[in-house]
Amino acid sequence: MDNLIQYLISSLSLGGLYALMTLGLVVVYGILRLINFAYGELVMVAGYGLLLFGNTTLAWPIVALLSIAVAVVAAVVMERVAFRPVRFASASTMLITSFAVSTLLQNTTLLAISPRPQAVRLPSFFVESVAIGGLRFRVVDLASLTVSIVALVLLSILLRRTTIGLALRAAADDFTMTRLLGVRANHIISAAFAISGLLAGIVAIFWVGRSSLVEPAIGLQPVLIAFIASVVGGMENLKGAVLGGYLLGFLTVGLQTWLPQALLDYRNAVLFGIVIVILLLRPEGLIRPAYSRERR
Amino acid sequence: MNAPGRRSPLAQVAVTAAVLCAGLIAIAVLTSLVGDRVFERVTTVLLISVVLTVALQLFMGNSGLSSFGHIGFMAIGAYSSLWFTLSPDEKNVTLPDMPPEWPMYGWQTPYLPAILLAGGVAALVGALLGVALVRLRGASFTIATFAFLIIVHSVALQWEPMTRGSRTVFGIPELTTIWWALGAALIAVIAALLFKESSLGLRLRAARDDEDAAASLGVHITWVRWVAWVLSVFITGAAGALWGHFITTFSPTAFYISQTFLIVAMLIIGGAGSVSGAVTGAVVVALSSEWLRRLEGWLNTQRADQTTLGQLIPIELRGFAEIVIAIAMILVLILRPSGIMGGREIGSPRFGRAVGPHPNPSPTAVGEGLPPRPAHRETPPSGGGG
Amino acid sequence: MPLLLVDGLHVRYGAIVALRGMSLTVDEGEIVGLIGVNGAGKSTTMNAIMQVVRPERGRIEYNGASLIGLAPEAIIRRGVAPVMEGRRIFPGLTVEENLKLGAAIRSDREAIRADIERWCAFFPILGERLTKPAGTLSGGQQQMLAVARALMSRPRLLLMDEPSLGLAPKLVSEVFTLIAELRDLGMTILLVEQNVRKTLDIVDRAYLVNTGRVEFAGTPDEIRQQADLEQAYLGGGREAGGGRNASPSASRLPPPASARTSIRG
Repeated sequence: MDNLIQYLISSLSLGGLYALMTLGLVVVYGILRLINFAYGELVMVAGYGLLLFGNTTLAWPIVALLSIAVAVVAAVVMERVAFRPVRFASASTMLITSFAVSTLLQNTTLLAISPRPQAVRLPSFFVESVAIGGLRFRVVDLASLTVSIVALVLLSILLRRTTIGLALRAAADDFTMTRLLGVRANHIISAAFAISGLLAGIVAIFWVGRSSLVEPAIGLQPVLIAFIASVVGGMENLKGAVLGGYLLGFLTVGLQTWLPQALLDYRNAVLFGIVIVILLLRPEGLIRPAYSRERR
Repeated sequence: MNAPGRRSPLAQVAVTAAVLCAGLIAIAVLTSLVGDRVFERVTTVLLISVVLTVALQLFMGNSGLSSFGHIGFMAIGAYSSLWFTLSPDEKNVTLPDMPPEWPMYGWQTPYLPAILLAGGVAALVGALLGVALVRLRGASFTIATFAFLIIVHSVALQWEPMTRGSRTVFGIPELTTIWWALGAALIAVIAALLFKESSLGLRLRAARDDEDAAASLGVHITWVRWVAWVLSVFITGAAGALWGHFITTFSPTAFYISQTFLIVAMLIIGGAGSVSGAVTGAVVVALSSEWLRRLEGWLNTQRADQTTLGQLIPIELRGFAEIVIAIAMILVLILRPSGIMGGREIGSPRFGRAVGPHPNPSPTAVGEGLPPRPAHRETPPSGGGG
Repeated sequence: MPLLLVDGLHVRYGAIVALRGMSLTVDEGEIVGLIGVNGAGKSTTMNAIMQVVRPERGRIEYNGASLIGLAPEAIIRRGVAPVMEGRRIFPGLTVEENLKLGAAIRSDREAIRADIERWCAFFPILGERLTKPAGTLSGGQQQMLAVARALMSRPRLLLMDEPSLGLAPKLVSEVFTLIAELRDLGMTILLVEQNVRKTLDIVDRAYLVNTGRVEFAGTPDEIRQQADLEQAYLGGGREAGGGRNASPSASRLPPPASARTSIRG
């Protein structure tokens, strides 16, 4: 029973993080049909934000907020500079562009900062643990569990209750028709990228918090996780992204807990094997939208 | 397809092949005449890059699908070629974890069959994977190939008997000379040109331009794609064997995302729509990245020596070449999506004609050298006529 | 000055020429029909006006200013609202959300609310299903929603592309009744239709489009008086068909029905 609770908390914590990562990728894909390889670099940018602002005298919450803001700005600028000119090109042109942007940002960081991992100053609660009812939990796990749920609820309110949220949902369904109602394409796409950057920024804080290190390639693992979870949940569907993220979180913690070490080494191979199988059997993902129709 | 005054397809292939091969031969011969060891290494890497890029073009250019998984097949070719070229004694050094009872422990063949067998191993894996892959389209296809790259990388890092895990394999005989690389590049170029004009290539390009129309003409798309895919990964695997026996020490990190970026950049910058584009891109990118690396090294020396120029450089330069290539690639994608060669083959009648902006700008898929399609094809809703 | 002017418009999709010198005008307060067989170029004209497709050459002017090169969203903001072919409602969004999106260019919350109530009174079924996903509406109800959504932007000019397409005959009549009611409200409408007979019953003027240009323009009576056209187009009601070899003018017409191509107009 205690083990089960520990497992649940760990899974919900990791799963929440994965859900945020996946949403950040899918919110852009739903509108632009762009699989943004450079999404991981938004995590990286926020991670270096933590490093740079962390070396100042600013209070840590402000450091965290500034780092998230940096990721939001980076996302919007990325769209403006690299993706807007190829917006109406083919999906593969956009995909390759994002691959180039990813390489560009990673190597620029490598050049401008350092290729080596660097330690980030984090508040003490990242390494502390608390005892609740005889069980010990890492504070950071509880924090990421809470933050991810709060972020998901706020995002859901944004999408349901605000005008821009309505426009985003409509654009994900039929982008051209949304524009034909007078909604400005640039606004929606910038908003989608801003949300993507916001989620990447939140993810970065906990992702960096796991190792206390940042390096230029730190965004690779999050973007890979987002790929897997979005393929599992369905690329076009925000609910699917959340479910895919949590599912992957439970699966990862489960494998870590119960799989023998020899097989654990091949975890990535197994996970990506699953991706290929799902793409084949259910190209729309495991979770299908209620009102799907032909894409225009 | 046949514009008035166009040569027959085979004559066309002959002209293009002659020009491209002459260029590659000239590069190799000039290099060997100079006789500089470093220069020769650069040219050999360049020629192997041509093989890799042309192999990628064979699939991407004709099918219109983007593969990010080819470097995985290069890895398979590089590692599996060790089965065939190393004697058991050499295997004890290079792959010390390989159990002697494994069948491949005792295998040893001359170099040429070893290259072909390595390509064959890659093709076998590719053929199995391909059965599944060719049913996917667009972004799903690319993600699946990328997933494959990660699988190969992850397996290579763990499978110690075969790969020595994350540690570097060394002691591989240096069998690849500049002439082997040249021979492979010439064969790859000719094979890609012949494939493009073959009936399979034509059908594949028809399916790329309009899948539904091609299907209605009876083109079995998945089969045609599968053949191109297997041929392409065979050449890539063989190139992996050549590269391994040139570089002689490598580890799984050599076959991952940055290498994938490099060959995709070569193809996109040159133009995925033609073999000439692939060759041009490989030559241009390989030379400029070599030149940029040297510039980077020189600037770093200046900085270390605190010369007047060196004092202007605030940080040690690294990854400079990748940054420049990435920027070049983004600019090409934005400004000239069909690459330097614009999707044309050298020596084709239309070659050299100014390619102005299309009066009706619309999406140009990577790999398309043909007139763009309408910007918006309105799909009729269910129940709609049409 | 006409409210909408299209002059010498050429549009091509790759090798396929869809419009070759299309010209028309719509005056304020008019309801103008654009009729012709499938593939004649009617919908392409619509899409070109909205700049969803970019014309090769030709003029499109609204209220004296060119629309060429504008983004679709900028055109809506000038007062043109399209009801696109196939309705294009957002099935996963509620009826109310669809209507709200129709008012995306407005910020007067109170007036938007009042307009939603107004159109719900006009289309009672929408009022009943306001909080239901639009995908649960029937085809005819979805058409009403598409029209109401377009009206939410308070357009000066309404473009309607084949509003009767794919609807059951009874619903077709309902849609035309609706258009007549809009006319009585004083809307300016450009109506693209294949249903020639019903269109001629409600429009002030009409253009007969054929192979990418206007074949004949006039009042409904003038068009009906063209005996050739009666035979070629009106004989079979909705489906164009029948004897078309009577006169030289008719022989220039495309083969109807049987030879419909996949080229979309």
